Amino acid sequence: MSERHAKTSRVAIALVLALTATGALAASAAETAIATRQAGYKKIGAAFKAINEELKKSSPDMKLIAANSAIVSAQSQQIPNWFPKGSGPEAGFKTKAKPAIWAEPAKFAAAGSALQTEAGKLQAFAAAGNLAAVKTQVRAVGGTCKSCHEAYRAED
Amino acid sequence: MWDGPTRIFHWGLVVLLLVSWLTAGENMQVHRWSGYGVIGLLVFRLWWGVAGGSTARFASFLKGPKATLAYARTLGSREPSGTPGHNPLGAWSVMAMLAALLVQVGLGLFASDIDGLESGPLSHLVDFDASRVAAELHETTFRIVQGLVVLHLVAIGYYWLWKRQNLIGAMITGKRKLSAEVLRPATIIRLLIGVVLAVAVAWFIAKGGRL
Repeated sequence: MSERHAKTSRVAIALVLALTATGALAASAAETAIATRQAGYKKIGAAFKAINEELKKSSPDMKLIAANSAIVSAQSQQIPNWFPKGSGPEAGFKTKAKPAIWAEPAKFAAAGSALQTEAGKLQAFAAAGNLAAVKTQVRAVGGTCKSCHEAYRAED
Repeated sequence: MWDGPTRIFHWGLVVLLLVSWLTAGENMQVHRWSGYGVIGLLVFRLWWGVAGGSTARFASFLKGPKATLAYARTLGSREPSGTPGHNPLGAWSVMAMLAALLVQVGLGLFASDIDGLESGPLSHLVDFDASRVAAELHETTFRIVQGLVVLHLVAIGYYWLWKRQNLIGAMITGKRKLSAEVLRPATIIRLLIGVVLAVAVAWFIAKGGRL
């Protein structure tokens, strides 16, 4: 093998290694992003489920509802960080996130902040102990979940 | 051939299954009410299977593999089936439908939607992940229920066309041509016990198992 050939193959090997490494890195970043958002949404779902189940009781605990509203509100602030570019279905991992999230970022951001707003109101009503307002407001919060899921989450 | 309560159970179930199907994911309040109705009907049918009129009793129509196979061999004949009540093959179809519906309605009690907004009356007993699994299985078992209902309808069509037997009429009027009246009805007290039992169980579950 000549000097030149050896150099070329060293460069080729280095290139392959580099490409593999960045590929692996990108893939694991997408995987982490997907896992992070799924964990976050599960926290929102669990907190909202707890709220709705509390409301089925004859005398709901307003403190519990306020605390869970705070979780929903805090988690929903994170939504803008949960969808980095490249973490959609094209990454090859199991995700129900639709490409529309990245195709229409302004609309998606608005859908996320709608949840923040409604969850904030829910927290305030619960903190004030206003049961009637809480009962109406959970429908508003649920409505933001539903409309965003219909637009940006693939059907089960 | 069929006593009144069995027929009311049957057609009530037809109506509630349609309601449940149409309201799933659309109107969850009606879907829950419909489910409580199905629970009541199933509880009643289980009670009626041990305490009801003779043709409604499990012991009268459930047969072993030998009798079932023997009956299956006569399926091709154009001779109408002479069994009063469920024939041995239909009996297994009934049991399969009852079992599938018990699983179906049971899973629904613990299910929750993806938003955490709508949930079954017992979902507070399990966490969010488990309630989502219940919801997904609730959808899967509904395909099984649908499959069994289609099989049921195909069988009725087959008896109608091939054996010239009108099973739908029998389930409406309770009577069947050329059939000796073999139904021994149950007492009204047993009917009342069944209704009270059904309402009590459905009510308790609808209240989330809280007394």
